[in-house]
Amino acid sequence: MSKKSEKDNGKIHFTIDGQEVEAEEGWTVLDTARHYRIPIPTLCHHEAVKPSGACRLCVVEAKQGDWSKVVISCMYPPWEGVEIQTRSERVMNVRRWILEMLLAECPAAEEIRALAAEHGVLDTRFKVEDPEEQCLLCGLCVRVCEEVVGVRAISFGSRGVHKHIATPYMVPNQACIACGSCVTVCPTGAMEARLERVRGDIAERTGHGFAH
Amino acid sequence: MKKKASAKVQSIKGATVGVFLCECGKRIDGKVDLARLRELLEDSPLVDHVEILPYSCERPGLSEIRERVAGKGLNRIVVAGCARRIMLKKFERELGDTGLEEGQIDMINLRDHIASVNDGAPEELALKASKVIQASAAGLKELTPSPKQKIQIDLPVMILGGGIATYSAAQELARAGIEVIMAVQTEDVEDEIRILHERYPGERSYHDRLMKIMTEIEESPLVKRISVGELDEVMGTVGNYTVTFSAEGNQPPRIYKAGTIIAALDGEMLNQGTDFGHDGKRVLCHTEMEEHIWLFGVPAHPVVFWVNDLEADQPDYAYLSARTAWNMATHIRDNNRNCDLKILYNEQINPPLNAQERARARRENIQWIPYDGNVRPTVQDGYITYDEPGSQIERELPWEQLVLSPRRHPGIEQLKVARILGLHVHGEEFLERNPQMVRPEQVGMEEKFLAGSARHPCDLRESLRQGQRAAHRTAEIMQQAKAGTLFAPRMVCSVDPEKCIGCGLCKEICDCGGVAPVEGKGGGIPRVVDPMTCTGGGTCAAACPYHALVLQNNTTTQREARVSVLARNLAENEVMGFGCRWGGAAAADNAGVRGIHYNARFHLLQVDCIGQLDATVMGRAFREGANGLLLLGCPPEECHHSYGLDHTWSRVLLVKKLLSLIGLERDRIALAHMDLNHPEQLARTVDRFVAMMDELGPVPKDREIQAKLNDLYETLRTPRVRWVLGASLRRPYETTYPTDQRNALAYDETLSDVLKEEFLRTRVFNFLKRESKVLHLNDIVGSIREEKQRVLNCLKDLSDEGMISRIYKDRVPYYTLQ
Repeated sequence: MSKKSEKDNGKIHFTIDGQEVEAEEGWTVLDTARHYRIPIPTLCHHEAVKPSGACRLCVVEAKQGDWSKVVISCMYPPWEGVEIQTRSERVMNVRRWILEMLLAECPAAEEIRALAAEHGVLDTRFKVEDPEEQCLLCGLCVRVCEEVVGVRAISFGSRGVHKHIATPYMVPNQACIACGSCVTVCPTGAMEARLERVRGDIAERTGHGFAH
Repeated sequence: MKKKASAKVQSIKGATVGVFLCECGKRIDGKVDLARLRELLEDSPLVDHVEILPYSCERPGLSEIRERVAGKGLNRIVVAGCARRIMLKKFERELGDTGLEEGQIDMINLRDHIASVNDGAPEELALKASKVIQASAAGLKELTPSPKQKIQIDLPVMILGGGIATYSAAQELARAGIEVIMAVQTEDVEDEIRILHERYPGERSYHDRLMKIMTEIEESPLVKRISVGELDEVMGTVGNYTVTFSAEGNQPPRIYKAGTIIAALDGEMLNQGTDFGHDGKRVLCHTEMEEHIWLFGVPAHPVVFWVNDLEADQPDYAYLSARTAWNMATHIRDNNRNCDLKILYNEQINPPLNAQERARARRENIQWIPYDGNVRPTVQDGYITYDEPGSQIERELPWEQLVLSPRRHPGIEQLKVARILGLHVHGEEFLERNPQMVRPEQVGMEEKFLAGSARHPCDLRESLRQGQRAAHRTAEIMQQAKAGTLFAPRMVCSVDPEKCIGCGLCKEICDCGGVAPVEGKGGGIPRVVDPMTCTGGGTCAAACPYHALVLQNNTTTQREARVSVLARNLAENEVMGFGCRWGGAAAADNAGVRGIHYNARFHLLQVDCIGQLDATVMGRAFREGANGLLLLGCPPEECHHSYGLDHTWSRVLLVKKLLSLIGLERDRIALAHMDLNHPEQLARTVDRFVAMMDELGPVPKDREIQAKLNDLYETLRTPRVRWVLGASLRRPYETTYPTDQRNALAYDETLSDVLKEEFLRTRVFNFLKRESKVLHLNDIVGSIREEKQRVLNCLKDLSDEGMISRIYKDRVPYYTLQ
């Protein structure tokens, strides 16, 4: 029978890479793609926390007729009849740019290097500030500490080109409960390298000595 | 057509377990054969429903799970996906409306504990996964969910301790519309300010602000002021405290009911003693100088302030003392333009002045004079000598009054109050510590109820701020309670009053303060757990000699079920272990994230704290067929709960002793320490332990060993063994609860003796039970193969206690079960 949107089952019918898919109200394009086992790369997305749209790697192209727009699939709500392309030229171009910039942002991150190589990006034209840096500023550590753990022990310091992951006064934070959630969600080894700056000396804090 | 599944198990009436397997993109699917895993689980009597989902945790997956829970009446689910530490909260939140409560959802980390770290064909990994998932299902089948406990707080907040933070706390609470009872030192606010310098010298600039706070409170109908004697005791739990102040003169003891308590405790300032020449007249400390100024006005003679905290071995407080010296010096200068004022300070300190203050110091001639800290200044008659930095020449400062830094101490009275409140007082250290690194939302978090300089030396402003913060956090909780949205966490301990004999072992070993004081000071009165303070570590429940204490929704019975199922399913060369959420399991999660490989023959079960493992759980593993058991906890004295890890050390040793009594190797059970930030260490540890078990070979599976393993398990349940174990659960050289190595050795010898006796007793009793016939001593000795006299003693004890019968035939004694 005709498969057009006359099917009144309360779902949203659209396509991803030509495949017909159905989504419930509230699902994002990424939710739907994953449900249908269509891979879309992500970096700052984690199932435990709300999406933040920081990395832009999950971009897809939303098209209808002549109109198209490059949007992030982790937050974009699909609508009836939209055509989503996960690997169009525009999309691949955006991803390559992002990965090239990330190679300059966090040159020491093996995971980024591998992801970039998969997209054909092997080196970067941008200036490398710190060749040892692994942090890509995805913010997952900050979000997990706030939303899952609830203590907000780490956050971003400064903004713009000087943005970095920081604790208040750059000293180990007493609010940190040393759960290691930040290390587990970090997509690279960046948090592992920084953890001591956040949790400090555990022995002092779990019962004896001063909690400083 | 699928094979007909065997009859399903329902250990707790109506417990139906659903298992959801996650593909997780290509992170699990492809590495673990999920189709095969599903088959294996469908055949298991422990699992009522299995399903594969692309992503269980995203909206589509959650939608499916909800439908399945409703459609199939599932009331326990296992999500075989990724890290429980990270994802469980989301599942609990999203699935809360299906009726699944905390404890009814378990997670197995297929991704980080198997798929990403083990080498092996997908079908092999599927087999491994099925063992661990079935163990989880078994645990869930034994779960009896506890009723949700709503916390009511209708009574006022009591602020006691007499610290100055009382006023800022009361103000904050009154502004939030909450009733307060303040226990103060004196009813007169003027007096309070008059004596403030005894605890906070040099803080005149804050007196006006403090006065405003005090006036606001005086006028508030919500704040009741009581002036009482010493604090005698505090009983009860959050929402229902009974606070007793001791009798004063001919007044009887006064008793108040409170909903929550805030302790405002100010530290004491003592003088430096003869060490620095203190005499109370010419050589003073800050508080005495303040008193002097109150009585006689500001001095006209030369005054030297010596910031001597580094020499007095309290280097952390130098900043505070220097600020106080400055405040007092500027006060004197404001009232006397000519007085010679100098502040002598160790050059290792930076004078704590901002630019304006430095300018003022120059302008008003308050000199800051540094000295070389390598040479200690000496107090002489009228002069103090010091070594000039740079030149190394010994110089002198003339003085007529020398004001030293105070020696800071938490205060004897304050420590007493802290002990009564159940805070952990270590010697005479300041009270600040952060033991509650588990549940930020609970009342037990220190910042919610402790404010003032007894916590850690601070200035008046900080003290007032701490009071305000404690009040603010308390107000939040009380407002939640009022709105009916304050519930106790579900995984907290609870006491069965029928079984509890009131020995207090739990209270002794628990550091979180969750075991509340009960009426009376003797035994025989069942303990009570405050669910708002208990952090759910469970070491108390693991120690209780009478199994009266349980960690609700996460019981020893559940853990024994998990360990049994896994042990029974393991192949001969496979090994099992437990990892705690903060140490072992966290390190394992991170090993998975980093893709660090280790031996696939190791099967990991997760617990919240390694200390919640009763020794019986360890014994049960061996009884059901484990060849080796590895416990992966946090580093020593770094347990996030109440030293559960350190208690585990003793429990492991107990099991080692029993293993050797059976004739098995002690090395088969081991404790290891993991730091979550060093996952590569976990790989080395696991590989080494598996290699050790390979060297030892599997435990012989003959009937004799099996019987002995059963006896081992039962011995771990006997109250006497648990009692003696409870007497000393720690290593002797620890810093928190140190003891003497020689005593520890003597105790351990006693423990070994008790264990031998109890083990033999259990063996004899169980032997008679199995044989269920009338036996002569020689038959018993022949089978048990122990020294005749020892067996005879056992038989005598057992029959004296009425557990077995002694029958005489032709005047020869025979023994049988009662």
